[in-house]
Amino acid sequence: MSKQILKELSELIQAQVITEETAEKITTYYNSQPNQSSNRLFIVFGILGALLVGMGIVLIIAHNWDTLPKAAKLGIGLLPLILGQTVSAYLVIKKSESKTWREGSATFLFFAVAIGISIVSQVYNIEGNFGRFLLVWMALSLPIVYVLRSSMASLLFISGITWYACEVGYFSYPQGHAWMYWLLLALILPFYYVEFFIGNNKNNFFYFHSWLLTLSVAICLGVLIDKGGELMMIAYMSLFSAFVIISEMKAFDTGRVISNAYLVIGSLGVIILLLTLSFDWYWNELTDTTLNAITTSIEFPVGIVITAAASVLLFLLLRTKSVQDVNSKCFAFILFIVLFFIGLNSPAISQLLINLLVLLFAVHTIRHGAQRSHLGVLNYGLLIITALILCRFFDTDFSFVVRGLLFIAVGVGFFAVNYYMIQKRKKQA
Amino acid sequence: MRNITLLLFIVMCLAQWLVPGKMIYDSEHVISNGTLYKFKTQPIDPSDPFRGKYITLNFEANTITLSDSAGWQQGEEVFITFTTDSAGFAKAETISREEPTAGHYLLTSVNYTTTQEPFKVFFKLPFDRFYLEESKASQAEQLYWQAQRDSTQVAYGLVSIGPGTAVLQNVMINDRSVVEVINELNADGQ
Repeated sequence: MSKQILKELSELIQAQVITEETAEKITTYYNSQPNQSSNRLFIVFGILGALLVGMGIVLIIAHNWDTLPKAAKLGIGLLPLILGQTVSAYLVIKKSESKTWREGSATFLFFAVAIGISIVSQVYNIEGNFGRFLLVWMALSLPIVYVLRSSMASLLFISGITWYACEVGYFSYPQGHAWMYWLLLALILPFYYVEFFIGNNKNNFFYFHSWLLTLSVAICLGVLIDKGGELMMIAYMSLFSAFVIISEMKAFDTGRVISNAYLVIGSLGVIILLLTLSFDWYWNELTDTTLNAITTSIEFPVGIVITAAASVLLFLLLRTKSVQDVNSKCFAFILFIVLFFIGLNSPAISQLLINLLVLLFAVHTIRHGAQRSHLGVLNYGLLIITALILCRFFDTDFSFVVRGLLFIAVGVGFFAVNYYMIQKRKKQA
Repeated sequence: MRNITLLLFIVMCLAQWLVPGKMIYDSEHVISNGTLYKFKTQPIDPSDPFRGKYITLNFEANTITLSDSAGWQQGEEVFITFTTDSAGFAKAETISREEPTAGHYLLTSVNYTTTQEPFKVFFKLPFDRFYLEESKASQAEQLYWQAQRDSTQVAYGLVSIGPGTAVLQNVMINDRSVVEVINELNADGQ
């Protein structure tokens, strides 16, 4: 950016937009600034280098050199740990502020821990349990994040605990609930807060963290599904609503819709869940469930905790914003809980109301997009309506003519609304 | 603040050494003090004989026959003691929920059970991986198939069992290490 301006200075002087004196001041200002982009490049290459070297060593170790004696194999396998710890010790003692070195050595040490455990498992043919291996690896790597204040190690840690939860909860048999995931997740949150919120340091690492954290929690909440799967819908609806609420808070504002992970995941999550609930299978299963079965399942306390958290967040949000200014999907969890209890006795009514709710959200989104003159938001609202019609396409008794007319109406709607918006923008320009 | 960081760093380094260190200590302890058993291997599952760089072994001594079902549950933790049969191969002797106070035994979990007589409890043998140099994997596979076709060849794993844990030390074909046999085959080929 700065280089671009410097290149255009002579043109601006010639056109008499700025004086030579101003041009000189601009040049002096940019030359005195540290070169951010080259710093960033150094960090990226430092991390990439450490990642590649770490993974390369993993592969070399995996070859399993059986001509080497046991002690030599162990020595070579544990060497990266010594190296990683030595470099890290130097950085800690010297209180190094070099982000490139801190990120690079943290990434290398992160992999060195795994290499150390793997080589011992290989030498002694320890079969082990992959979930437990991931758990031990992550537990041993957590301090790296704090000691070296490394965002990359933190991202790897979040990926690792997500992998652990999936391994234990989805990929293994018998499946577990991966309770340790939640503890480890809680232990990384102080880093997220200190690194990015104190001092309002919203760099690229903040965006990566937000995306990974929201995706990780959304994926791993399903691990807790046991016998009361129907109740998990409340937990998920509260979670996605909480994401939307968080996205509305000033501290999480990114200025752009697409870079706000909480908004994108939360909003999409709410809509996808509601579209799923607009089919009758969920409500049919719900009528077979007794209230007693619901309250004794694991999902019951899980649902309560997440709903309580979403409620507190909503309360905090409404202290700073009025109801009209808030994204309507913030209230999705409250509305769904009401429909859930109606559905226990009258499933058809709840199913109908869910369809209306999706329509309401769609209209609200379109209105919001039109007010902000945001084509992306506006078309998202139209897409919600299209998705709802597509869902009804499969399970209703509407005649082909009615369905055809509905699609034509939505198609015309897409065209008309976008045309109107573009014309409006042109006029404003 | 700096002191806390330094202290956390030292604790972290110690913990990072403690885990592999304990694994090495435990394994070496079982190798030097445990009882050595020969676990005969069943023919390898043809659909998945190898996963990457290790051989998957399928041991015969993974079951115990009981006089009653005793309500053993899948996934339940159990303690197994072993003895040897007339041919010198390991076979399960006892199964219990309580840890034996003495002797060598294996801590594992129940795989599945049969519900009709004779009541059988199938348990996991947590040493079914034998790591090989990657270039030797396919040769080891051939040797296994050969051993399976030829009834005079016997394949077994040499396993040390200590209190609770086990270490697979080697895989033998006709009393010779599989690695040794492969090395010899390679030398003959050259």
